[in-house]
Order: sequence, then structure tokens, then C-alpha cells
Amino acid sequence: MAAGEEKAKNKRGIRGWLDPYHYNAERWAYFFQRVTGVAILLYVLGHLGDTSFFVGGPTGTGPNPSAWAFIGSIFENSFGHLILILVVLVLFFHGVNGVRLILAEFGLILRKPSAIEYPYKPKGLGSGQKVLIYVAIAIAVAAAVWAFLVLFEGMG
Amino acid sequence: MKESRLMLVQYATAVAAVALVTVHLIMQGVIYPYTTAISYNNILSVYSNGWYAIFLEVLLVVVLVHGFNGVRIILNEFRQTKPWTTWVNAGTILAIIVTVAYGTRTVILAVFGGAPA
Repeated sequence: MAAGEEKAKNKRGIRGWLDPYHYNAERWAYFFQRVTGVAILLYVLGHLGDTSFFVGGPTGTGPNPSAWAFIGSIFENSFGHLILILVVLVLFFHGVNGVRLILAEFGLILRKPSAIEYPYKPKGLGSGQKVLIYVAIAIAVAAAVWAFLVLFEGMG
Repeated sequence: MKESRLMLVQYATAVAAVALVTVHLIMQGVIYPYTTAISYNNILSVYSNGWYAIFLEVLLVVVLVHGFNGVRIILNEFRQTKPWTTWVNAGTILAIIVTVAYGTRTVILAVFGGAPA
């Protein structure tokens, strides 16, 4: 392989994230950790903007009920609540999967090293990590259901 | 700051964010019904509690530092040239300062701002 091809192969950028070839559960979890992280940051920036309307928005000077009612009229509807449910879903996945990544980073849930053997298929990082990925998915779904009940059924 | 130190910041803010966001969500949908939690009068009473205002400020800083530092890590993985890293790191600091300042302004005005017109 020429040096240029080797360099291009190792520098795939975002396309590298999106290429599912040779993906395993941990790789997918890594992919979704980044995608959900960026999505949550975008939501937080939007949330900073909408909560600022409590004090009248960018040019406000203090608590302002009419500005708050205005922003509520835009976001407090079924579509806005659907977005909030999606935010809760990705937030809980990101949080629990992030705890898994921290535990792995400090070597607490890594399996014992073993010799690399033919046919060199990617090895999982251990059953503990797989369980935590599934736990992250389960908690995220449960949290999204809870958010649905709070937002659409008036529970809370 | 060394990259290893910045990763520790990322992990510390992650753990803090999990705890703080959990409390925030409990306040919004468990302790109070959601419609009560987002009502003008309830939010006004929340901000009048100094401890909760401090909590929101800490939440703001922790989440934004974690979020922008995460984007910085992703961007620095795409390209490893000195100018790129310098611009990404500077942009991250600037983004954190601007957004924390805007969020802090909301908290300060909600706590100390004048009466509605």
C-alpha cells in the first residue's frame, strides 16, 4: 500500500464514524457516545437561549412573565415535548455509557490481556462492558418512557 | 494544560454532570408536576432560593465545560497540526466563556433583576 493510501485510510474523519464495517457493540457505543454528546450540547445551547426568556431574552433586564409566556407558546406543545423525550433518551444513554467509559479508562472493567490470534477478529472488551452497554440502553428507554408519562400523561 | 489533565477534567465534569442533571430532572418532573415546574411563579420562587440559584450556576458551568471540552477532543482527533490545535483550543475557551457568561446573566437577572414592566 502506498504511503498516500495508508495515510488516507487512517484519516477518514466523520466518514470513519459512519462506516459500520467491522463494528462491534463497543464501537457502536463509542459512535453513539459522540453523536449523543454533540446532540446534547446543541440542546443545552438552545436551552440556554429559551431559559433566558425568563428574564426577557437577550435584551431583558429581569423576570418577565410575558416573555416567558411567549417562549412557552413556541416550545410547550406536542412537538416540543417529543424533542424533550428524545433529549432524555440520548441524555441517559450518554450518561450511563459515559460512566462505563470512565470505568474502562481507569482499568476497572477491562478483561485480561490475551495473545492476538488468527483470524484477528476484533475482540469485545469483556462481558461486563457489554452488560453496561445494554444497561445504558435499557435505562435510556425507561427514562424516555418516564419522560413521555410526565409530558403527555401529566405524571410527576 | 496537559492533555492528560484535560481528560481528567472531562471525567470529573462527567461524574458531576450525571449527579447534577439527575437532580435537575427530578426537580422538573418528579418533585413537581412538569407544568407546575415550568410555571413562571414556580421558577421565580426557585430563583429566590439562593442555594438553587447556585446549583443552577454550577450545573451551567459543569455541563458547558464538559460539552465544549468534548467537542474539542473530537475536533483534535480529526487533525493533529499545531495551528488547528491552537485554534480549536482557543475557540473552546472562547465558547465556554461566552456561553457561561450568557447563562450566568440569566441567573443573575432572575435573582437580582428588576420587577417586570
